[in-house]
Amino acid sequence: MRLTELATVIRSKNAGPRVLTLDLIFPDAASFAKVEAAAARLRTEVARAYGRPAEEVSVITYPPANAVKIALRRDIMAGDPDDSDVYGAQQHAPLLEITL
Amino acid sequence: MNAVARLREDFARGKRRPLRILGASGQLGYGIPSPALRAGLDRAPDMIGCDMGSIDIGPAYLGSGTMAPTHIGARRDLRKVLHAALDAGIPLVIGSAGSAGAAPHMEATLEMLREIAAADGLAFRMASIGADIPRDTVTAAMRAGRVHPLDGMPDLTEEDVENADQLVGQMGLDAFRRALETDPDVLIAGRACDTGIFATLPVMLGFPRGLATHMAKIVECASLCCIPGGRDTILATLDDESFTLESMAPQRAATPASVAGHSLYEQSSPYEIIEPDGCVDLRAARYEPLDARRTRVSGAEWIPAAKTTIKLEGARFLGHRALLLAASADPRFIARSVDIFDEVAEIVAGLVCEDSAPDYDLRFRVYGVDGVIKWPEPPAALPREVFVLGQCIAPTPERAQEVIRTTKQYLLHHGYDGRLSTAGNLAFPLTPPEVSAGAAYRFNVYHLMETDDTAGLFPVRIEEIREP
Repeated sequence: MRLTELATVIRSKNAGPRVLTLDLIFPDAASFAKVEAAAARLRTEVARAYGRPAEEVSVITYPPANAVKIALRRDIMAGDPDDSDVYGAQQHAPLLEITL
Repeated sequence: MNAVARLREDFARGKRRPLRILGASGQLGYGIPSPALRAGLDRAPDMIGCDMGSIDIGPAYLGSGTMAPTHIGARRDLRKVLHAALDAGIPLVIGSAGSAGAAPHMEATLEMLREIAAADGLAFRMASIGADIPRDTVTAAMRAGRVHPLDGMPDLTEEDVENADQLVGQMGLDAFRRALETDPDVLIAGRACDTGIFATLPVMLGFPRGLATHMAKIVECASLCCIPGGRDTILATLDDESFTLESMAPQRAATPASVAGHSLYEQSSPYEIIEPDGCVDLRAARYEPLDARRTRVSGAEWIPAAKTTIKLEGARFLGHRALLLAASADPRFIARSVDIFDEVAEIVAGLVCEDSAPDYDLRFRVYGVDGVIKWPEPPAALPREVFVLGQCIAPTPERAQEVIRTTKQYLLHHGYDGRLSTAGNLAFPLTPPEVSAGAAYRFNVYHLMETDDTAGLFPVRIEEIREP
């Protein structure tokens, strides 16, 4: 199952200038449960898609919103000369390719 | 007696009642839709709050002491909420004044309010709270081992502290409280936790800290917690067990899922809100529908911290920036672009550093390939066209222009291996293709500082604005 077929929201944003947070929001408890059951697999897939070791990827499930939150350390501080996305709002694209 | 004084007296006498709080704007200066603000005022609120700043907008505003919106936009919105609060006879509380909440941002914001008052014949009592942290305070805390890096920052050095053009701390509830205890009509806070804007008055009046902070964290973004999310004014009604959220724009619904989902927004954990002196635990939070447009929220719990820590934010000047805006549709140029940039950068350095030191930073980004994301793998196929952004940061605007204009010329005509298009490598969408982009800054302080003296760090000033 592809994340794009399950989730109604797939987004990224900074949580402070050093952390990137990725949210997956699902339309109902059933689709959320499928991803929750595959949370370990999701973590390794996110690590692969972003080119990081899995230990650096935090995955938190959040049943009140049928959501999964992923947090990654930013390699580059928001707004540094090397930064390409000051708000971190376009770093979700690698998630669109993930299949669980 | 003004509104804050009256509320404090009523509540002290045991005349407790639910409190109605309006979140008028999450980003003052970008426009406040009037219909929803008016609808909110019709509900007899006890307070209007607005967030005016954030660290999310990047280091340039903090470093340079400038606002993110235009002064016209900021003045228009300030005027609107100032009139609304004074007409209703309720306090106006604004946090992170002027986008980044340092002294120049504060002064610009206060000056706008004075100008509006003079022009419109208004009189009010204005409290303001500074957020600039003296460098020697930070250095002393650092030496005492009381400054800690945040989210993988390196340890703070005395050089960082010295180099920061602006250095602020995020004030918490206690700073707002000291200001509100002076019974102001208007309270303008420098860099602040957005929760302080909305949670302080209820906490002063005895409402539970966890609930008030949870409410504050949601209403500081106005109607963003709704479906569809938006910037219209939101009303929160707080009692001792819960709070109810209702957008003042009829097309926006605060549903249990949309409100719960808002806890994800720009936070690394949806289960906690971290404050200088504790943390709100949201694990037991409940979200129940009152009707199709209103949600009742309960269950947030306040956990005090053993010691108070404030977040320090500093930005330092890097140099002046000049940009090159260019593009290519040549597959050979696109395929070889990384090498071409290296070759041209070397040629440019040879030319512009004949009489001066290599005192600049030159880099390129190729949109269409990896301009946005550092992909772990290259794309399966290269794009048909790319946009090329060249960026130079140098000690003076003239030096940055010298480097970027030289780069433009040599990149245009560079004879790379396998080149077919010998008349020019680039399409320029504009003339001139080089743009001066002002001063560049970077965050060089993002640390936690332990403190026992928040009153000393965040001083309150009172100003009586009189009718002209």
